[in-house]
Amino acid sequence: MSIFKELYQYRELLKTNIKKEFRGKYKKSSLGVLWSFINPLLQLLVYALVFPFILRVDVEHYTTFMIVALIPWNFFASVVGSAAPIIVNNANIVKKVYFPRIILPISIVTSGLVNFIISCVLILGALLISGVGFSVYILYLPLIILIQYLLTLAMSFILSSITVYLRDLEYVINAIMMLWFYLTPVLYSADLIPTKYQLIYNLNPMTPIINAYRDILYYQVSPQLNGLLILFGFVIVLLVVGYIIFKKCERNFAEEI
Amino acid sequence: MSKNNNENAIIVDDVDKSFKLYYDKATTLKERILFRKRNNYEKKEILSDIRLTIKKGETVALIGVNGSGKSTLLKLMTKIIYPNKGKIIINGKLTSLLELGAGFHPDFSGRENIYFNASIFGLTRVEIDKRIDKIIEFSELGTFIDNPVRTYSSGMYMRLAFSVAINVDADILLIDEILAVGDQHFQDKCFEKLRELKKEGKTIVIVTHDMNAVRNLCDRAIWLYNGRVKLDDRSKKVVDEYLKECA
Repeated sequence: MSIFKELYQYRELLKTNIKKEFRGKYKKSSLGVLWSFINPLLQLLVYALVFPFILRVDVEHYTTFMIVALIPWNFFASVVGSAAPIIVNNANIVKKVYFPRIILPISIVTSGLVNFIISCVLILGALLISGVGFSVYILYLPLIILIQYLLTLAMSFILSSITVYLRDLEYVINAIMMLWFYLTPVLYSADLIPTKYQLIYNLNPMTPIINAYRDILYYQVSPQLNGLLILFGFVIVLLVVGYIIFKKCERNFAEEI
Repeated sequence: MSKNNNENAIIVDDVDKSFKLYYDKATTLKERILFRKRNNYEKKEILSDIRLTIKKGETVALIGVNGSGKSTLLKLMTKIIYPNKGKIIINGKLTSLLELGAGFHPDFSGRENIYFNASIFGLTRVEIDKRIDKIIEFSELGTFIDNPVRTYSSGMYMRLAFSVAINVDADILLIDEILAVGDQHFQDKCFEKLRELKKEGKTIVIVTHDMNAVRNLCDRAIWLYNGRVKLDDRSKKVVDEYLKECA
């Protein structure tokens, strides 16, 4: 429990760090924070052209179908990618001052969360413009975001600490994320997967999360609560495991970087 | 245990520390697989069998030639690195000045950096707000405080960093060879401040080569030689012995 006490004591550092991550990301570009909209918009544009017109995917309101999944996915992928080298990139302070190192991955995931919540405006816009509209199931949104946040946090703990010892990981992750992207029903519907592979396919923790977003926002039905609750339990376990790994590796951070 | 809490600020219990000195360190997967031999390293003992107890309110100097392990001991006390053997117990809030201005961001103003730097030391917004005027006044930076830190001279940079660290209100202060900051006037002021902190009952551990400072400020000095404690006694006595040896 001392972790919570320490985080509470260092809350100002946590806050400034989140702000720094968030502001620093686009600081040097002239459009600034607007890029958090433009980037996914451009990406959407590409997929929205390629899939319905070239690959002839036949889904009603395809852009909306995709956007409700792609924006949450981007939150996950971009944070995991940038969390991996976070300890190494902060070598200058890690080597010189004591502070709870775990603040570094927590800040990057949290600033990603803020960014994600802002870009949810795009999802709302798509739902409005396409005429899909809203349903009461949107109230599940905070729960799904929470599960995704905790999953991302757990992975960031593990990856950021291991990257200190194995610098390749930073680059390997990029390739893995690309594969992971296609193994998750972001651009297509999970129903397309043949039944015999469904079991393995559903082991991917991002699948129930993305499905849940799509259920509540696009299909406007209740998410599969059983699956989500099981995932929630798994995420909590992963978070504890990630924390233990981080704590184990932490002792040698200053010497290894 | 509760008795320890009342009297001792720092307990170093039978601590060993060694570093791995890699000849050519393999950090990537390819190198790890292809050149296993590259991971050859030499284990270098930096500290061995260190046992120290520093009481609350003591002012202690660590002296010794370069490479004797002074800074490593200080880093162990701050929990930046951890011992291979033994343990270190700290009672009270600890602040270290191992390197001035760690985490200063050159593009941010002096004022913003005070907030950032003080938050690394574990202060909350309210606590920093309360101290900010004191910090700025101590640094004597005046109107420069709102300029970006990259425009500062090295002396100004040091003054700002020292002012933050000294105003954190820690119970234990660890300082590494940084008393030589700024001009004579500012140095005197730093010493004055340290004396004041000493009077308030703070525990201070400094690493320095300035023997006059040791004699004037410290009650006790610990002489490290090749990673071991060679002499641990009243500062005057240790300094005399040390100077005799060096001469």
